[in-house]
Amino acid sequence: MTGKDIFKITLNLVIVYLVGGFILAFVYANASPKIFRNNEKAEQDALKILIPGADFTKLGDWTIHDKHAKYFEAKKGDEIVGYVIQSFGKGYSSYINTFIAVDKDFIVQKINILGHGETPGLGDEIETDVFKDQFKGKDIDHLKVLKTETTEYIQAISGATISTRAVSEDAVKNGVAFLIKTLKEGGNKDVQHQHN
Amino acid sequence: MSSTSTTNLKDLFLNGIIKENTIFKLALSLCPSIAVTNNLKNGIFMGLAVLFVQTMVNITISLMRKVIQPKVRLPIFMLVISGWVTITQMLMAAFVPDVYAKVGLYIALIVAFASILARAEMFASKNSIVPSMVDGLGMGVGFLFALTVISFFRELVGKGTLTVPTGLSTQHVFTFINTKPVLIMVLPAGGFLAVGILMALFNWIDIRYMKKGAVSH
Repeated sequence: MTGKDIFKITLNLVIVYLVGGFILAFVYANASPKIFRNNEKAEQDALKILIPGADFTKLGDWTIHDKHAKYFEAKKGDEIVGYVIQSFGKGYSSYINTFIAVDKDFIVQKINILGHGETPGLGDEIETDVFKDQFKGKDIDHLKVLKTETTEYIQAISGATISTRAVSEDAVKNGVAFLIKTLKEGGNKDVQHQHN
Repeated sequence: MSSTSTTNLKDLFLNGIIKENTIFKLALSLCPSIAVTNNLKNGIFMGLAVLFVQTMVNITISLMRKVIQPKVRLPIFMLVISGWVTITQMLMAAFVPDVYAKVGLYIALIVAFASILARAEMFASKNSIVPSMVDGLGMGVGFLFALTVISFFRELVGKGTLTVPTGLSTQHVFTFINTKPVLIMVLPAGGFLAVGILMALFNWIDIRYMKKGAVSH
């Protein structure tokens, strides 16, 4: 291979990758504002499903796994009926974006999985109602994942224990713990930017 | 192969489904296939995603084949594949978020598909655009067929249910076996069993009944 060949090959690769990069950048620039708005809308819809009929006020931001997440207060009229917190769990192949609704006593009422990249067919079972309904009525001490049949704790999905743990022992547990620490023990709603 | 007469294109299309079926004959891309085929809905969506990306990659590589330096063809193929996957993901997330929420997971897996790289290398980089497109379609349909059969079998035996995508918004799960299902079939080990059994069946049928067609190959 002569120097000229090496130059030709390098130039070929550089040009093709530059063109590819520009195409990707162009598509991203056009698509990302729309994706952002879609995500915002999905978030609003998720809140409405978690505590139907409530009005939500954002209380602040917090950080888990270096990701920014939000938490909200849910009111019906003037009465606080609960809180919703966004949290992330480190799963098998992704961070699982989870929304958790708790009542005033920090008992989990409902959870919703907004986004994840777990294996289809195994890890994505975390999206099923059968799995999510297990969380209703659990307090922070009952979020342990068991591989045996259980209603007291959380039962692992066959073939997806890591994804199950990520949701229960990571996302939900840390989210609820943060709410308790910030809103109950802190007793001071001005503490809104605590980091986990 | 340079002729683009109708019969040749038909043979080319069928080639991907029968003679060079990605799963049953070439045994390529088994890893992601086994991961997703434990329910019917997953199998169908994965198959459709591969069908689309395979066809688009074949067309792109075929268009580019005269400007690609042979020594760096593989990194260029990888760029085209991952580029198409990324573009598809972004456009779907922006314009059809409901569909993306359902099939986004499958599309991301396609970057790791050996079968797509194999067709770019063996076919699209050596042929003009129409045969390349037909080859991509044939390979994609063959893959879709294989995944549908495997996932049908695995979900039925392993869970006793069938999850059917109706449109893209809802799904029906119906149970028609009351005995305890054979759980291993939906776990990864059962994936190998299912692929092995169905591969044997496919090849048996092929040898027994399609012999005449195979002679001309």
